[in-house]
Order: sequence, then structure tokens, then C-alpha cells
Amino acid sequence: MPARPLTKVCYVEDDEDIQRIVRLSLERLGKMTVETVSDPLRAIEAMTRFGPDLVLLDWMMPGMDGPTLFRAMRDKPETASLPVIFITAKASTVEMTELTALGAAGAISKPFNPKELPDQLREIWAKLP
Amino acid sequence: MPERGVSAGIRDRADPRMVLADRVDQLYGQMWLGILGTFAIGAIASFEFWSPRLRDLVLIWWCIVLLVTAGSAALLYGYRRAGDRSQNAAQWMRWLAIAAFASGATWGGAGAIFFPSHTDEQQVFIAFVLAGMMSGGIPVYAASWPIFALYAAGIVAPFTYVLGTFGNRLFTEIALLVPIFYAINVAIAYRLTQVFHSGYRLRHAYGKLTDDYSVLNQRLERQLGELEEARRQVEASGRKLALFADKAPIAVLEIDPQGLVTQINPGAELLFGYAAAEMVGRHVKECLVLPELRPDFDRQWAHLVESRAPLSALKIRSPRRDGLQVVCEWTVTPLVNSDGTILSVIAQGQDVTRQLEAERMKKEFTSTLSHELRTPLTSIIGSLQLINSGVLGDLEKDVAELTAVAERNGTRLLDLINDLLDIEKIESGKLTLIPEAFDLGELVRESLVLNKAFAERFKVRFQMAADARAGTRVHADRKRLLQVMTNLLSNAAKFSPEGGAVDVTLDASGHAIRVGVHDRGPGIPEAFRSRIFGRFAQADSTAARQKSGTGLGLAISKRLVEMMQGRIGFEPREGGGTTFWFELPVHVAQPEREPSVS
Repeated sequence: MPARPLTKVCYVEDDEDIQRIVRLSLERLGKMTVETVSDPLRAIEAMTRFGPDLVLLDWMMPGMDGPTLFRAMRDKPETASLPVIFITAKASTVEMTELTALGAAGAISKPFNPKELPDQLREIWAKLP
Repeated sequence: MPERGVSAGIRDRADPRMVLADRVDQLYGQMWLGILGTFAIGAIASFEFWSPRLRDLVLIWWCIVLLVTAGSAALLYGYRRAGDRSQNAAQWMRWLAIAAFASGATWGGAGAIFFPSHTDEQQVFIAFVLAGMMSGGIPVYAASWPIFALYAAGIVAPFTYVLGTFGNRLFTEIALLVPIFYAINVAIAYRLTQVFHSGYRLRHAYGKLTDDYSVLNQRLERQLGELEEARRQVEASGRKLALFADKAPIAVLEIDPQGLVTQINPGAELLFGYAAAEMVGRHVKECLVLPELRPDFDRQWAHLVESRAPLSALKIRSPRRDGLQVVCEWTVTPLVNSDGTILSVIAQGQDVTRQLEAERMKKEFTSTLSHELRTPLTSIIGSLQLINSGVLGDLEKDVAELTAVAERNGTRLLDLINDLLDIEKIESGKLTLIPEAFDLGELVRESLVLNKAFAERFKVRFQMAADARAGTRVHADRKRLLQVMTNLLSNAAKFSPEGGAVDVTLDASGHAIRVGVHDRGPGIPEAFRSRIFGRFAQADSTAARQKSGTGLGLAISKRLVEMMQGRIGFEPREGGGTTFWFELPVHVAQPEREPSVS
């Protein structure tokens, strides 16, 4: 379990409505600071600037999908060690196993309940080394 | 001489039994002449022999003549009446020989008795009669020389003896001549017998030949008839086949082993837009295979010609004459001769362009449902959940009620979409289970916790019997089994009276473990029982609207349980209500291998 509490989350998601819901949920309910990124191609840059504790990635996005972005993050020293959680409606078990092997911290299935989202994140956070 | 050789050959074909029967028939056919002659000449002779001195002897002799003629007549009568003439020809021949000998001996006896005791003129009469009787026997017995020999011996032997012992030189000389006459007569009879025999053999041989020919003829005629019938049938089935090919809504092509089109049906003309005359004689790939696919086609064609094995379900995109493209599913069958050479290849193609398009649209629709509908719903439900959670501030009572309605219905819509996707996945065989071994009791307890909120909404309690069997493991898909439990629990909650309890039980019996969900609801109407596990099954739509639900839950549950080698069912509960249950096989852990003892 990381020594510090989970406070800064970066969320990469192209749908601005869902962005807003997640932001409200995590900020109001979870008392976290949330940076949302709409363009996955600029995500790494934003993460580097923001320096989050944890990254949430949408699976399906135009331009670059979540798994591709995740792999790109692993290649950059600035983002290589960031814990990543996928928010997805479609990941198959095989894909998820593969991503877990690459270091993904977990997955939250879509649709999720925004009331429970902060707790779900903290639960996964607590299990991290 | 060749002719003789031929006729001898033919004669050998005659059935000897038939030849004998014919000879016997001839002998009996002439018998009445002998009988009549014996009777008439016997009467004249008796009259001539008559004298008071020899009265008794003449009477006795006359009686013998009558006896012999009567016996012969009876024999003739018997023969005429007999049904076994040809079968028993040899026996009839023997009877005739006895009769002939008796007749001959009667005359011979007459010569022996009456010759010495009569005058010279009468002796001439006797010699004349005997010579006449003997020579008359030749035509009568010509069909069998041994019978003639017996008959003639009967006449000659006693007479010769009397002549030889008479003491008169002339008579002695005659006695020496008589056997010579006898031998000559027998030789003539022998010769005649040969002629008759040969004649009858020929007759039968030719008869048999004629029979054989007519049998052959009949056989030929029958075979010709059969051939004609077969030809008609082939013609009819040819017409039928042509009709099938002509009227079938599929393309049928006949292609030679080199790949040249030899014939196409109207279906093919219609499908590809070529007239038959435009395609026949051209290579099939020139007309129906896209240039980029031709190397592939050549490889497959070479394999087909080599293996001679039919191909089916072969989907090929083909250009039409007008430039459009169609996708056909082909069945390709080489017609192979009995010696293994390919006569031609029949290709039957069905236009599946629209079918593929429909499949693509269905896939697109499913993916739209899955993503494009769920994404906005996620936002709607998420927003409402946040509002209803109160973190954004308290709401006015009426507003709170309405946002709760909106959230509930949004969730219901999402459930419906998820159920639709599930049933589509199950029915298209795309749903894969991820089975693992786990404790079913734990899973049931977990499902009760997960669905607690639902129970509270309907003011119902879920309760699990304290003694419910725990520790029974099953091998199944955990997530999907939770889905089944959620379905059964939510149904039970929906239909239970307020304040009621839903009992959950676990019973392991033998190789199966059964989970029961018992409610105190109104029960399942009789008319609805048979289709409760069908799609969109709801007892009555009013209730459904009140209780909410997609009507797919039980259909999905049934398919899921069955995919896990289980069974699902329901029964009325004693005291009112319904029990829904499912059974899964108990998982028997593979025993760890004992380390071998050395």
C-alpha cells in the first residue's frame, strides 16, 4: 500500500459528459483533484505536467485507444511507473490478463456507479505496492 | 461331310428319354393293326385247321389267340389311358415285348402243332400264314428290332424245330433256310429301327433347338423391353434434372476439367448477367473470378482436379458482366467416371450477397447497441446517480422523486440492452464461459449481499437457511452464475408481497447441488408455465410494467445454466408461491497424484 493517500487522478476520456460525471464524483465524493484529458495524443504530456498518483484510461477513444496509450506510457520514463486503471465496457478476459501482465492496476467496468467510484479507486490503490 | 457332322451334333442335343417315348408311342400306335391281324388271320386259320379229329386242339388254340388279342387290346387300352407314357416308356416297352412274344409264340405254336397233322395243301397254307405273320411284323415292330426279334423268334423257333425233325429232306432244307430268313428280317428290322431312332432324335433335337431359340427370343425381347424402359427412365430423369437446373434459383455451371464452361443454367445467366452463349467455351475464371483472386483460383482448381473431392460452402466474390459484384456460396462437385477420370465439374452457386450484408448489418447493430447506446446511458444514469446520492445538495421532494424515476428507468433500459446483447451472444454461440472451481454456497451468499438493495426496494428480505450446505464446490463461470442468481432473486423480490421473505436453500444430493429460491408470490399462471423460459416472457404486461423487467432474464438464465451442464426449473411452493431452482454438477477435485513409493 502506497504511503500517501490517493489525491491526484488523471482521467483520459473523449466523452466530455462522462468526464464531468467522473470529475464530480471524484472531486465531490472522493475529495480528489482530477485532471481530465480529452485527446489521448496529448495525454502523456498532460500527465507529465500534472503528475497524478493514478491514471484512469478509457478503452475506446478516437485517435488512440486505451491499451495503445497504456503501452506508450510504459515507454516514457516520466509515465512508465504510473498506476493505470482501465474504464471499459468491452475488455475481454484475455486482453485484461495481458494488460495486467504489462502492469495495469485494474479495470472498472462501464457503466459504473459514480457514487461508488471513489471507493473502487481507493480499493485498487490500497492493493498497490 | 460337314452336314452330317452338323446334324450329328444337333442329334446329340435330343433328350434320349423323349426319343424312347416316341418310339414306344409309335409301337403302340400300330398295335391295333397287329391285334386286328392276329384276330382275323387267327379266325381264318382256325376255320382251316378245323376237323373233328383235332377239334379240342383247334379250340384251345383259338382260345389262346383270343387271350393274346384280348391281352394285347387291354395293354393298348392301358397305354392310351396312362398319364406316365413318356416317364415310363421303358416299362411300356417291356410289356409290349411280352405281348409281342406271346403273339409270335401263338403262331409258332400253331405251326408246330398243326403242320405235321395236315395235308400238303394245308401245310402250304400254314407256311404261307407264318411267313406272312413274320414279314407283317417288320413294319409293326420296326421301331424296336429286339421286339421284332422276340416276336419272330416266337414264330420261327417251334416251326423250324418241327420242320427239322419231320424226316423229310425238303422240310429239313427249309428248316435250314428259315433261320437265314429270320436273320435277314431281323437285320431289316434293325436297320428300320436305326432309321426311326435317328428320325426321332432329329425331331427332338430340332424341337429342342426351336425351344431354345424361342427362349432366347423371349429373353432378348424382355431385355429389349428393359432397355427401352431404362432409356425412358434416363430420359425422364434427364428432363427432371434439366428442369431442376433450369428453374432453380441458383446458378449451375458445368465446367470441363480444364476450366472451360460447357453449360450454364438460366439461374447463372440471371445472376452474372451473361447469356449462356457468352460464357460457354470461355474459362470460368475469366468470367467469374476477380483478377486478383485468379492465382488463388488456379491453385484451388488444380487441387480439385487432382483430389476429385467435392468442395462446399466456398464463398467467392465474383464480378458480374455489368461490373457489379456478387458473393456466391459454391458447391463444386467433380463428376468422376468409374475409371477415375473427371468428366466434368458441376458448380452450384447461391447468391449470398444480401445474406452477408444482413449479417454485417446485424453485427453493426449489435455493436451500436453495445457502444453507442450504452455510452449516453452511462452518462444519464451516472448523472442521476450523482444527483440522487445527495452530494450535490439536497433536492426538493418532487424533484427527488422524479430523478429517482429517471434513474430507475435508465437502469432498466441499460438492463434491457445488456440482456439483448447477452441473448444475441448466446444464440450466435459467441458467449464463452470462463469456468473455475468455487464454493457455490459462498457465491449464493455473495449474490444475496449484492441484491440486498433490490430487496429493500421491494420491502422484501432475502434469507438463507442457517444449515444451508456450504463447502460444495462447482466448476462454472462465477460471473455468469451471479447473473443467474441476480435474475432469480430479483424475480422473487418483485413478486413477493411487501414485508415477505424470500428463502434461499442449498441441497447437495449425489452428484448435483441444487439452489432453490422460494417466494410467496402469486404463483405462475398455468397458461404461462410452458413459455416461462422463452424470450420476452412475462406473465402479464401490466404486472411487468409495474414490476419492471426485460422478460429475458429467465431465458438467459436457462441458457447459461445449461451451458454449465446444469438444469433449471420451477415448481409451485407448498403454501403458495413459487420455487425456482437450478442444479449444477458437483465439482470433484482431481486427486493430487500420490508420490510413487520406491
